[in-house]
Amino acid sequence: MTIALQDNVIRLIGSCPAEDGETLLQHLLTNPAAQIDWQGCESAHTTVIQVLLVSGRTVRGPAGGPFLERFIGPALARFNRQV
Amino acid sequence: MNEFMEQFLLESRELIVQAIDDLMALEAKPGDKESLDGAFRAFHTLKGAAGIVEFAAMARTLHAAEDILALLRSSTGAVSPNVLNECLACLDLTSRWLDAMQANGGTPPTAEADADEMIARLAGSMDIDESEKAVAAIPPGGDWLNRLQNAAGDQFFGTLTAVRLVPDPEAFFHGKDPISAIASLPKLLIVDLAPTDPAISLEAMNTFSCNLEILALTRAPIGEIREALHGFGDRAEICQLIPSQMPALDADHLARATAILEAQIGLLREEELGGLLGRLASAGRASANTLRYIGKSALAAEIEAASAVALAQGKAGPLITAIETALQREATSTQSTNTPTAQIAASRALRVDMDRIDALVRLTGELLVVKNTIGHLARKLQNHEGPEAVSSALHDQHARFDRLTAELQRAVLRIRVLPLRTVFRRFPRLVREIAGDVGKTVRLIIEGEGTEADATIVDALFEPLLHVLRNAVDHGIETSAGRELAAKPAMGTVIVRGRQDAENILIEIEDDGAGIDVDRIRTVAAARGIASEEALSAMPDAEAVDLIFSAGFSTAATVTGLSGRGVGMDSVRAAVGRLGGTAGVRSRRGIGTTVSLVLPFSLMMTRVMTVEAAGQAFGLPLDSVLETTIVSRSAIAPIGSGRAFVLRERTIPLINLAEALGLTCDEADRQSAKIVVVSTSGQIGGLEVDRLGERLDVMLKPMEGLLGGMRSVSGTTLLGDGRVLVVLDLQELFA
Repeated sequence: MTIALQDNVIRLIGSCPAEDGETLLQHLLTNPAAQIDWQGCESAHTTVIQVLLVSGRTVRGPAGGPFLERFIGPALARFNRQV
Repeated sequence: MNEFMEQFLLESRELIVQAIDDLMALEAKPGDKESLDGAFRAFHTLKGAAGIVEFAAMARTLHAAEDILALLRSSTGAVSPNVLNECLACLDLTSRWLDAMQANGGTPPTAEADADEMIARLAGSMDIDESEKAVAAIPPGGDWLNRLQNAAGDQFFGTLTAVRLVPDPEAFFHGKDPISAIASLPKLLIVDLAPTDPAISLEAMNTFSCNLEILALTRAPIGEIREALHGFGDRAEICQLIPSQMPALDADHLARATAILEAQIGLLREEELGGLLGRLASAGRASANTLRYIGKSALAAEIEAASAVALAQGKAGPLITAIETALQREATSTQSTNTPTAQIAASRALRVDMDRIDALVRLTGELLVVKNTIGHLARKLQNHEGPEAVSSALHDQHARFDRLTAELQRAVLRIRVLPLRTVFRRFPRLVREIAGDVGKTVRLIIEGEGTEADATIVDALFEPLLHVLRNAVDHGIETSAGRELAAKPAMGTVIVRGRQDAENILIEIEDDGAGIDVDRIRTVAAARGIASEEALSAMPDAEAVDLIFSAGFSTAATVTGLSGRGVGMDSVRAAVGRLGGTAGVRSRRGIGTTVSLVLPFSLMMTRVMTVEAAGQAFGLPLDSVLETTIVSRSAIAPIGSGRAFVLRERTIPLINLAEALGLTCDEADRQSAKIVVVSTSGQIGGLEVDRLGERLDVMLKPMEGLLGGMRSVSGTTLLGDGRVLVVLDLQELFA
């Protein structure tokens, strides 16, 4: 499993494939208060990042993968600030 | 500008012209499949060209127009004028972009915004349903470059490549992972994300549909980025940002840099502060780094050198001076980049038929043979070989040389020739627009658009012709109501007619409007002090009408946005005059006005006939010379203060050339007078000369500088024996 829900924390782990977008969305919808943690996440498919973006939630980092940490994290943060 | 870009501009302009032609034809015949296909092809090729030079804004704008045309091709209905107008506007915009590119060498900075607006207009011109629109074109990105700039902050400087990727909503089904494609881009600086629908919520979202706008900025060359995102086709908008396209940022950075440099000077000047050496080192380093940051490495190196000197001497002076110099240079360079570049009339390229070039190549070969033969003859002469044989051979070669230069001249002129069509074809649209603006209906008829003239002349004709056309539509043609009262068809007619008349090109602009009110012309001319009232009332109508060409003459009762802004017909006469032509007007009250422009076929070559008067050689333009004759002095009769003679039962006024030019003449001892009969502006006159000379083809040089204002002289050329031949302007001579 690359997405795991534990103690109200949704963890992204390893390399999240396209299907994880829907899994993440379902977790978020059923656990509106859950935190997201991507410290173990090396990379994620666009579907996953799209859900993160729309959710507007803060993601607990730093992300496992350098691209996520350096580029996607700040992009999500900027978007959240705007919204 | 590189060759590639020149080629692009040239081809694009041709395609625009072609597209306009087809769209205009389509307007005339809304169902014409062939014109529609032609326009579609032109837009398509134009879009391809934009893609090749990586002009994204142009490519997507044309793509949007092409989509509309494609849709029209597949439908059976007639094309609505609204769609045509927007397509024409799209070509106008493209044309403006090309002009800007030609002037500045790069894509215009406002292109993206212009493109967004144009695409929206194009989409609005037609009832394309939403889904089709989405597939048709990437949704407009608005100010995405600004958004990217805000996101990038300090990293937004230097040459960058900006990407806007809006993947197809179906992208995930096609196995695409757009963000990982972005992650693989080299030298990535920043990524920015936004949902395409800002109002989307987790509850409403569909994770299988890609609804993202991904912006990215990299330092990698645009080619690499294009390559990397190739799979996204038109959904990826990629553009290169060169420093000049970031004025706001540059200004901001420069202001900050200037502030830092000024602060360093302040720091160095503070005498009370101790630790001079430490301050020197830190101010030097800070200044150099600042300059490097804004890309002024050379200045930074100078500061470093000055800083070393200052440290060695233990004085702040050298460093202060260096920083001040840097500041000054910075200021001047900013000023120079901020002033708009002067619009220099760029030399334009001309398409030439290959056959015409081949003719030149062949002539060059023949000329080489003549050159070699003359060299051979010269050697013979040096060796004192029979002068008779050499002179006869030389004579032959001269004849050959003569023929070849004549052919060469003709061939070169043929290269520079363009049909009047190139300027005429812009008018149907313009006239339609002008007529629309003043609320009149006017049809434009174009005749003789195949008439050819020198490219310089054809190009220079646009402005004066447009001016005359504006006048015709705005002041000439009456309003529909006025026309009905005058029992004329409600729609006015303007005819633009071109034809060749001997060595000249004649262009007439004829309207069937109200004609010129001569009495009103007289009143206005008197009011403006152009001529005295007595002179005006004595003036024949034709001459009074000609006053519209006087400087500052404008009789329109209301000043419209089109004409009547004080720039009158005098500008037309001046423009035509600069080309060596003349402008005239005929008008009949209630029937219409015809403005005629007579222009030389070529600016380059004139055929003249040489004559002698008072021992000096003069040239007369051969196209004005009708014939030469010898008349017995007894047949010349004084008439008033002038003289005249009868030629074939026609009385012709006679001028003695030497007298007219203020030279001393001595005619008493001669029994007969040699007369050149010339025609200028439709009038025939005789010029008495001492001797008739030969016919010559000359490259006429107009009079310049101090001699520029000389009357009766149209230019000079050098004769074979080195003498200057003054070529006369007969019209002024007889005036």
